Amino acid sequence: MPFAGMDIGSTMTKVVIADEQEKILASHIGPTGAEHRHLALKVMDETVKKAALSFDALDFVVATGYGRINVPFADRQITEITCHARGIRSLFPSARIIIDIGGQDSKGIKLDETGKVANFVMNDKCAAGTGRFLEVISETLGINLTDMGDLALSADGFVQISNMCTVFAEHEVTSRLAEGAGVAEIVAGLHEAIASRVVNMTRHLGIEKDVVVTGGGAKNQGLVRAIAGKIGFAVLTPPEPFITGALGAALVGMDFYSRGVRPAKERKKEEVTFFS
Amino acid sequence: MEQAQQAKTTAVKGTDTAREVRALVKNIYRSAHEAKAEGKKVAYMMVASQYDEILRAMDIVPLPTENYAGLCAAKRDMDRFLLKAEADGYSQVLCSYARIGLGFDSLRKELGHIPEGSPDGGMPVPDMMLGSSAVCDPRFKWYQATSRYLEVPTYGIDVVAPPPQDDLNAVRDYYIQYQRDQLKGLIGFLEAQTGRKMDPDRLWECIRLGDKAWQLWYDIDRLRVAIPCPMPSQDHFSIMVAGHYYTGTQIAVDFYQKLYDEVKYKVDHKIGVIPDEKYRILYGGGLPPWHTLWIFNYFESFGAVFVIENVYRGYDPVEVPSFVKDPVDFLAWRAFLRFTRYHEKARSRSGNPIVEKLLDMIADYRIDGVVFHACRSCRATTIGQTHIKSELGKYSDLPMMQLVSDMVDLRDYSEAQWKAQIGAFMEALEGRSRG
Repeated sequence: MPFAGMDIGSTMTKVVIADEQEKILASHIGPTGAEHRHLALKVMDETVKKAALSFDALDFVVATGYGRINVPFADRQITEITCHARGIRSLFPSARIIIDIGGQDSKGIKLDETGKVANFVMNDKCAAGTGRFLEVISETLGINLTDMGDLALSADGFVQISNMCTVFAEHEVTSRLAEGAGVAEIVAGLHEAIASRVVNMTRHLGIEKDVVVTGGGAKNQGLVRAIAGKIGFAVLTPPEPFITGALGAALVGMDFYSRGVRPAKERKKEEVTFFS
Repeated sequence: MEQAQQAKTTAVKGTDTAREVRALVKNIYRSAHEAKAEGKKVAYMMVASQYDEILRAMDIVPLPTENYAGLCAAKRDMDRFLLKAEADGYSQVLCSYARIGLGFDSLRKELGHIPEGSPDGGMPVPDMMLGSSAVCDPRFKWYQATSRYLEVPTYGIDVVAPPPQDDLNAVRDYYIQYQRDQLKGLIGFLEAQTGRKMDPDRLWECIRLGDKAWQLWYDIDRLRVAIPCPMPSQDHFSIMVAGHYYTGTQIAVDFYQKLYDEVKYKVDHKIGVIPDEKYRILYGGGLPPWHTLWIFNYFESFGAVFVIENVYRGYDPVEVPSFVKDPVDFLAWRAFLRFTRYHEKARSRSGNPIVEKLLDMIADYRIDGVVFHACRSCRATTIGQTHIKSELGKYSDLPMMQLVSDMVDLRDYSEAQWKAQIGAFMEALEGRSRG
């Protein structure tokens, strides 16, 4: 029985199709643009094709992420907090704290003994502590975003970046460069700053083992190391951190289905653009 | 579970009586203008300052500047006042109530008249300003700063409470004596401003009316333990007007009697705020988001009702000893007893009176989740909120959420972020209720 989860994040749309054994049958990642509905359908079609299924064979479709409202063919819309929790619970049953670092926000989630969301915190309307923060600074430094983590790992120590406002931090980075600080050390300082902010936020929940870092930020090993350093013990990361939300969405759909919930309406496999 | 956005800023009320509050609010400002025209004394004042009955006893018309800030926010007419205060050099992290007040007074001085289209006709120039240290420091300094714009006398009263770890028996006399001296100092100032002595019998009468109204308010809140909840928090944030701005008047007593009768009827007939009450929420603290009170209705669209709140509440009734025969002594005693209501309980458990109060509410009102509102410019209710939340978590495993914005300043609010958080919070409640 295939269940699909779609996570429309600020920069990427992720789809996972999983079965009732919680095994991933297929996944696909595409860009998120202004035309959510149009792109959501494209990414879904790709994933269905990869799983060698037809769209109608999907028993339940759950959409999550900030663009979840714009998925006309979803049977339910569920927040990413719940979906990340469900996805991580499947991958790491021992997880009690999840740190999700996305493109435009970051979250801390506490799970209870049964794996349900017990509490959560989110960063407020600010890019600090998010992927966007690193993205802006990487542009300033002229470095590929994907190279930032390795660069941080190669640094001898780090330069203190005190300002977490993205705009002011950009100024601070420029000043540090002018003072002759090394790029790797500056980048390591940026990772330290993000880790500080995210870990402090998560401390409100009470940090306990195991801690899983997920979202795009978990692809950045420099950031993962900085977070572990702040927490004081090693953290876990999923094999494919981008898709844990989508995996969770698929599994939330499976949970609905197993409780006897069925899609209420015929799915509108609608391809709508905002400009049509 | 996603719900459509509401267009309006105010909340749909749960009771008919709460809908009558708008007229009470309009009357505050109309009365102040009329009083000025008649040559009566008008005073800028602040809630919880323990001097309300004294003002009424001396026929001084109260003009609550904090309420005016909330009114401007509810009308979404706050930016011109905030920006004016900021242009005058006041920081964006200063209390936004104070910034609106300062901005309004600055604009009025600059224009030579009340700014065009000010909500409810604006505030007239007062005859005096009565600051207070109760709750926070800006309330003590605000009116001193307003002296830049108004040439009227200012008086600041110190309102004190001992820390929870103090032995109340050891400090009681000292605190009460100090509070009495503060109140007497204020009375001396008011007598000088009005040119007449305060009548103790009249003060006793106002105290009697004040206590009667607050007893009724307390009784109403106790009725709210009923399931389904008969009156939600958005009503509280309206009906508090009678208790805080009409203290010591028959108007407040009559209003709360009417509200009591309505709420009692709803309880007796099991009439809830919404037809299907799934979750009972405690508003754990922080000033309300006056700019977006419809958010309470947004929660209701998920079946969640705010059944009780820990801000702008009437004090629990206290029993002042019968040997207290002087009305000013009575006010000093009453203030002490009000402020130390949860001290002994705190000493025996968490050490924090607010945590104890919240735990009582969680038990009495059968709460399913707690929501706090962190206001960026309100240090008094926001600093320590995370600590309270975390302390509360030691004694309760309920889902809790902290929304962040400001009580007035819309620039600190993000609707998308709030909706994302609320959605996740509702899912946590749902998951918990499913077991």
